Parts: sequence; C-alpha cells; structure tokens
Amino acid sequence: MPVPLLVELIFVLVIFAVVQAYAPERTLLAGTVLGAGAAALLAVNYQALLSLEFWVGLIGFVAILSALLVVIHPNPMVSILFLIVNLFCIALFYLILQAQFLAAIQIIIYAGAIMVLFVFVVMLLNLKAEVGLRLTAAPQRWGAILLGTAFVALLFHAIRGRLDEAYIEAGMFDSAFGAARGLGGLLFSKYLFAFEAASLLLIAAMIGAVVLAKRKVR
Amino acid sequence: MRIEFFLLIAALLFAIGCVGVLIRRNAIVILMCIELMLNAVNLTFVAFAHENQSMTGQVFVFFVMTVAAAEAAVGLAIVIALFRRRLTTDVEDASLMRW
Repeated sequence: MPVPLLVELIFVLVIFAVVQAYAPERTLLAGTVLGAGAAALLAVNYQALLSLEFWVGLIGFVAILSALLVVIHPNPMVSILFLIVNLFCIALFYLILQAQFLAAIQIIIYAGAIMVLFVFVVMLLNLKAEVGLRLTAAPQRWGAILLGTAFVALLFHAIRGRLDEAYIEAGMFDSAFGAARGLGGLLFSKYLFAFEAASLLLIAAMIGAVVLAKRKVR
Repeated sequence: MRIEFFLLIAALLFAIGCVGVLIRRNAIVILMCIELMLNAVNLTFVAFAHENQSMTGQVFVFFVMTVAAAEAAVGLAIVIALFRRRLTTDVEDASLMRW
C-alpha cells in the first residue's frame, strides 16, 4: 500500500514541523524519535519503496513544499535554494516521463546557469531577509489567494477523470524516445526556423542585459 | 501511474507561482515565481508528450527554457538598474509609470 505509507510519512513530517515551531529546544529529541518512527514505517512497508506511485508522490510532495517555501520565505537567498530543490524535483519527473535529455538540460541550464545568475544578483545587491514579510496591499493579496485557490479547483475539475487510459507502465520503455538524437533531429529539421529565432532572442536578451546593467550609456 | 497526477502537480505549481507573483513585492522573488510557472508548464508539456508518444512537446520545452533564460537575464538586469537608482528591489517603489 504505497499511498498510505506516503500519507504517514507526511504526517510524521508535519508533527516534526509543529514540534520545531512550538518547542525549538526539543528539536534533537523530536528529530530522533520521529526519524526512528519513519525508519520503522519504511522497514515495515519496504515493498512500497519499489513502487512508482510512492516515489512520484514523494517527489511531488517535495516539489509543492519547496514551491510554497519559495513564495513565503522572507530571505531571497533561501527562496533561491528552495527553487533549486523544486527544479531538481521537476528534473526527476522528466526522467520518469522519459525525457532524459530534458532532465539533463534542466539541471545544467536551470539549476546550473539561471539560478547561479539569481544568486549572483542577490549577493551583488547584498539583499537581507525582509523584516516582516513585505506583501502587496490587502485587497490584492487576498484576491490573489482566493483566485489562486479557485484556479486550482477549476484545473483539478478539468483534469480529473478526463485521461483514464493514460498510464505509465514499467514495461513500456522506448530508449529512443526523449533522447538527444530525436530531439536534435526535430530541432534541426521541422523546427529550424524557430530554432534560429530562439538564437536571435538570446542575442537580443544578451545585448539588452548588458545595456540595462551598464552604469552609463554614452 | 496515471499521467493526470503530473498534470495536477503542474497545476498546483502554476497556481503557487501565480499567487507568488501577485502577493510578493520583492522583484527578485517575483522573477523566481515566474520561473516556477514556466517550469509547471514545461512539466505539462512533457507529460502530454509522453502520453502521445510524440517528441514535439519536448521540443517546445526546449524553446520555453530559451525564453526563460532570456527573461531571467533581462529581468535581473532591470532589477540591478532599479536598485542602482532607487536602492530598493521593491516593485511598489517603482510606480512612476503606474496609474
């Protein structure tokens, strides 16, 4: 039963977070007890570790938790680190969905290049943690949260139960699908024009970034 | 494992990023939330590419990543320029051209 195990693990994690929040001096004790509890759970249900559902659920949980922390953490640097965790989770999803090349690209370009750019800017500007989380005005804030919840409900209603037949099975695996060869072939034949346009876009962005960040344009 | 599970996760991530853009005032965090939304859309593309066994979705992810890189570079340059003039990254302080 992979899914109940996942729920129990999440429950253990929530208990730990509550203890951490209300009794910070007991963290070590609580961590030991809860870690032993989680290990015991895993030992009893060790077969769940072999199921895809358990791992996908775990990765999804970590992805959503890290996304929430990106949004609500007052320190931009911590936000960046949690965004990197989130990007790794999505790279793992790409691997499960047979997009091996994209998973590698995700880690190299997103986590390796774009996030380093963010880290550079935060360190360059010497940004500290915000004193009290600075949020937008109350009407916009609550409106955004309300509309976000409604949006999630709408999307869930639209997605659930519409795709009954689409399963991922361990047996169906075509190693050519998602490899660099097929992707490159498509990119340089059918989507050649879009590829050239993307290179133009990158040059324009590079020139724009240099001009914008330059101290004085003569 | 159903493909719709990935779509539900992507929908949640997109909504979290969207709410983040609307509630935060730090320009760098807003840019990060945009990256979050782009990633959620990428996950949806890859999930549908897998469902239809067609590589086109993965090619689109490639282009979305290109746009994300360009957007991050220009956005962060704008943040640096803003910080140089106003000594802040708060978007509420850059309201000269806003109604």
